[in-house]
Amino acid sequence: MSWISLEKIKSLGEKFDYVKVIENDKGFHSVEVPKEKLIEFLKFIKTDPEYSFKMFIDWTVIDHGPKADPRFQGVLILFSPEHKERIIVKSWATEEKLPTLTGLWSGAKWAEREAWDMFGIRFEGHENLVRMFLWETYPYHPLRKDFPLRGIEDTELPSLNEKERMDQLEGTMNYSRMHTALPTLEDLEITQKARMPEKSSQVVLNWGPLHPGTHGTIWFLFDMEGEYVQKCDIIIGQLHRGVEKLAENMNVQQIIPYTDRMDYIASINENHSVCVAAEKLLGIHEKIPEKAKYIRTMMAELSRINSHLLWLGTYALDLGALTMFLYTFREREKIMDIFEGITGARFTINYFRVGGVYADLPYGALDAIEHFIRDLPQRINDYETLLTRNRIWLKRNVDVCVITEEDVYDYGLTGAVARASGVPYDLRKIDKYDAYGEVDFDIPVGEKGDSYDRYLVRMEEMRQSVRIVQQCIEKLRKMSKNDPFFFEPEDKKMKITIDGRGTKLFKGEVYAGADNPRGELGVYIYQPKDGIKPFRFRLRSGAFYNLQVFTKAIIGRPIADAITLLSTIDPVVGETDR
Amino acid sequence: MGIKKVGLNRNVAPQSWVEKIFFLDIAKGLKTTIKHLFRKVITVDFPFEVITPAPRFRGVHGLRNVDGTEKPDFDSWVKKLKIKPPEMGETRCIACKFCQAACPVPEIFVIKAKKLDVPEDHPHHGLKVLDQFDMDLGKCMFCGLCTQACPTACIIHTDVYDLSSYTRRGYILNKEQLSQIADDFIARRGKEKFDEHSEWPDTQKLWPEYDFARAKAWDNNPPYFGPNYADQK
Repeated sequence: MSWISLEKIKSLGEKFDYVKVIENDKGFHSVEVPKEKLIEFLKFIKTDPEYSFKMFIDWTVIDHGPKADPRFQGVLILFSPEHKERIIVKSWATEEKLPTLTGLWSGAKWAEREAWDMFGIRFEGHENLVRMFLWETYPYHPLRKDFPLRGIEDTELPSLNEKERMDQLEGTMNYSRMHTALPTLEDLEITQKARMPEKSSQVVLNWGPLHPGTHGTIWFLFDMEGEYVQKCDIIIGQLHRGVEKLAENMNVQQIIPYTDRMDYIASINENHSVCVAAEKLLGIHEKIPEKAKYIRTMMAELSRINSHLLWLGTYALDLGALTMFLYTFREREKIMDIFEGITGARFTINYFRVGGVYADLPYGALDAIEHFIRDLPQRINDYETLLTRNRIWLKRNVDVCVITEEDVYDYGLTGAVARASGVPYDLRKIDKYDAYGEVDFDIPVGEKGDSYDRYLVRMEEMRQSVRIVQQCIEKLRKMSKNDPFFFEPEDKKMKITIDGRGTKLFKGEVYAGADNPRGELGVYIYQPKDGIKPFRFRLRSGAFYNLQVFTKAIIGRPIADAITLLSTIDPVVGETDR
Repeated sequence: MGIKKVGLNRNVAPQSWVEKIFFLDIAKGLKTTIKHLFRKVITVDFPFEVITPAPRFRGVHGLRNVDGTEKPDFDSWVKKLKIKPPEMGETRCIACKFCQAACPVPEIFVIKAKKLDVPEDHPHHGLKVLDQFDMDLGKCMFCGLCTQACPTACIIHTDVYDLSSYTRRGYILNKEQLSQIADDFIARRGKEKFDEHSEWPDTQKLWPEYDFARAKAWDNNPPYFGPNYADQK
């Protein structure tokens, strides 16, 4: 496990007398720093060669309930690329205020806006502290513990009940006419102005929220100088469903179907993140049955191929190569057929459980996967013949929108975007969750970090996924049909069920995640006492932080490159908005 | 640590002059497209051709009736919850509400049991029957947790997927409709999905092999199914 060792963190406590070291029995040690000294402390651990926690991972807030004093606590997760370690730095937000970290990591800009939006914490010194997901005139902060789960229903929406004449609607059919607040057009105008208070040109170009090139509902604001972008901001949140709030009110197996709806293109990988984190919190991640581990690894890699095929098809379609879309969707259909047979659903899969998978492979599953995998490398070569050295493709991609290595650390970029910039950051190698420690594969790493490198990295990732799937099939073939696929605890205190009823989480905190096609989906669970419902369930979305670098990489580029950049960053709005 | 370096000059050679002048890059691409021109059609002509969903497919729910294939502990569950012992053709539901407890959106279900109105000397005195079982499928995520929680294998997922309606009321199914859906499904494909214990049978196939529409989607070259594991027949 890639976490800072106890000796190293204790020497931090000796060096600074204000630092309080919090030991964790699962190994996730953290430090607590008073907020006045936070910037000074972070500057030290960022630059000191012995620590060099220079990669930003996540910056969020815990609400300890309306009775606690102080009530809010900031939680910062950092990664050290040199030592391959993580650390959690905590700080109490007295008077609902915290110092801003945007001077140290630019990635904190959106993280702080999200914390302000959800918890109402002011970050002193932030350049433009506006809401992230909700509109500017929304009066509440929904992730506070005293905000009800149903929301505050204060708007009348008669259209909820489609009533025909003489209808008497009763019971479940009779929807309440009251609804939670909805933004009006004026609200949206205020929001748009607040996001970009100063503009240099006459007209701000709006792109989206319902443009086919944005692959979802993202709303871009471009401040243009001729054809070149001077300033850019993004309004997201049209798909915000409050998964974190929902997750605080249910058991951990019930959260998994909600994560299907986040990154709906690679839902298996999202499920994987939750399972990995919850298993680490329960301390059972090494006791998961071998069969379940290999099935999960295999399915996750198939899902990665599926996601990358969709990315390749739509990316080429955006740049004008229609044929690719038809070719990749043909292969994708086969993967979805395999998923349908194994898991019961084509898209929103919900196959993984905390403790394994819910059913064994059906008869013939491995043959179908083998059949598909045999053809795939030839298909990928076909795609490469069409695109890789095509002159139009080269012109549209080479040296377009370069993301440097510094940006990766600064913005907390993960996934293929980070790897294309030359940072071999891959949780599959660092954490070695499930069977990734036992299979053999390479991490593709780009050279410059332009759009072309991101394209090549993803193509190579598909080939490596094929390798992993082949190795998993070989291993699974040797197993017995009677091997368990779900973990059964010997410990009386622990209860894990396939249907989720009564599944308990232990006291403690954990940050773990899986490497998804769109970056690292980290799950931070904070649990002050044993219980069914997680107290704080933070989803660190890779797509959210990857999308943030768009506002920097597009500056100085013509507007036509926005399509290329957005496609190569490849966010899914379900995951950015959660 | 295996790292593979990719890039324009690393694993991809830049275009040469010959390629640029004779448009070789585009000619190569066209060769691939022309190759695909002579392949058979792979699209399925819906709704004239329909792909049969896999046996595990999670479609619209159904409530199974008693048909003599219950689990051995069915009677003990009935006794425990003080339900009138169901006869052949009556619902298996014992109103235990385990499905509602497992559901991430518990508002979907409205489950009510009522006491039987019989005189004191009747053998069914003090026992209950299922009165109401409504499901609002407009709120359902089709995650399958309810079917795994059901102790009597009553609530199941069928292969029905066309659930559209003009109003929200159309998504609300009551217990008669749900029973009808389950009965139809068991009559059609009961053998594929269930054995006598209503669990996943060993020989359950990935998808039905008799389905020619699916073979078409697999480039007319569908996989041949064999055993997964070393000791499977």
